[in-house]
Amino acid sequence: MAAVIMPRPVEINAHGIRALAPPPWEARLYRRDAAEVNRRGELAHPVLHLANFALPPGRGDFGTGAVEVMGADHVFVALLEYERSEAFRPLFAHRGVPRPRPSDFGANALQRRLPGQGGWQGFFTENGRPFCLYVVLGSLRDAHRLVPPVHGVLDGLRIGAS
Amino acid sequence: MTALVVVEAVLLAVLTVLVAGLLRAYADVLRRLRALDGGGGDGEDATGGAAAGGSHPVPFRVAPGLPQPAADDAAEWPEAHDVQGIGPDGGLVLVRTVGTAHDTALLFLSSGCTGCATFWDELRRPLGLAPETRVVVVTRGPEHEDRAEIADLAPPGVDVVLSTEAWSDYGVPGSPYVVLVSGSAGKVRGEGTGQSWQQVSGLLTRADGRAPVTAGYGGAKPRADRERESDVDRELLAAGILPGDPSLYGAEP
Repeated sequence: MAAVIMPRPVEINAHGIRALAPPPWEARLYRRDAAEVNRRGELAHPVLHLANFALPPGRGDFGTGAVEVMGADHVFVALLEYERSEAFRPLFAHRGVPRPRPSDFGANALQRRLPGQGGWQGFFTENGRPFCLYVVLGSLRDAHRLVPPVHGVLDGLRIGAS
Repeated sequence: MTALVVVEAVLLAVLTVLVAGLLRAYADVLRRLRALDGGGGDGEDATGGAAAGGSHPVPFRVAPGLPQPAADDAAEWPEAHDVQGIGPDGGLVLVRTVGTAHDTALLFLSSGCTGCATFWDELRRPLGLAPETRVVVVTRGPEHEDRAEIADLAPPGVDVVLSTEAWSDYGVPGSPYVVLVSGSAGKVRGEGTGQSWQQVSGLLTRADGRAPVTAGYGGAKPRADRERESDVDRELLAAGILPGDPSLYGAEP
């Protein structure tokens, strides 16, 4: 019988964001398209995508294009940075990366509402940087099973000062 | 009567010489075959050659620089590696090829190679692979490639990663080159090159044992996009705006 090769955790690190992707999680860390964002008068802030399935190309920042191909066992995580000046607003009052509970998820929190899926969105500030954390579960019914791996990924997330 | 006997004797002698020559040639062929099969070479008698090692085949080898043929036993397949690099947009990319439910076709291309132009062009059309097979284009890293040029070449709907490390991990001899990774085994189940994606995908499909499909892994639009396009088309048709209507294209600048 052929020996199965075991995949390894992989660290990605850029823009003051470090994430550890355990297998089989994939990761993308990019800046929003500078030309497009500048038309809105904003800076190109970093976006982190983590998923335990094959991330398709051409995704939106909140996972449009990826959530449509999710199965019941799949999880998608997006971390989006906002303007530094937003850090002082009440919306971003929470300090540190939050850990959503299974009961926090719901269909109403989805950016794109798809049958069976559940979403959660939280805002927080870390090292003076305001962020939105958005999580989609492939099956809201299995939230108790799917949320712990999300916590595992969030445990490996480090946000620096810049 | 005497003449007839003489003629028969001459014919018999000629036939004897011919048969002896054929037997000698046959023995020579057998000796050479045995030598190819790992047996003794010239100078060994038949029994001695066979006893000396005629039953041990010589390991099959290909010329240096050419990929080894795929082994039948998955245990002998080369180890696969996840692909880590940067995308055409400059972002960090981690693509899993090991420990996945799907297989991955890694297509190693360059911006400048003549043989790659066909592939870049063909990737803009439906890829014709099994839906369980994901296609990822891998170019050398930004120290070898112009990222902006790769961004221009990158087909929509196909993952493109700039990673010199992946080229090294998979021992890519040059471009274009395709490596098919078994996600469940975490190993390389086939590799090679071809003149076009159509040719390569045919080989991959046969290697895969799965029926080809009309759309590639990344080429299909999300269902919501298709539904939205249908809704827009329906609204436009209801308003009397048909395909090609000048109002769809705005005023000339």
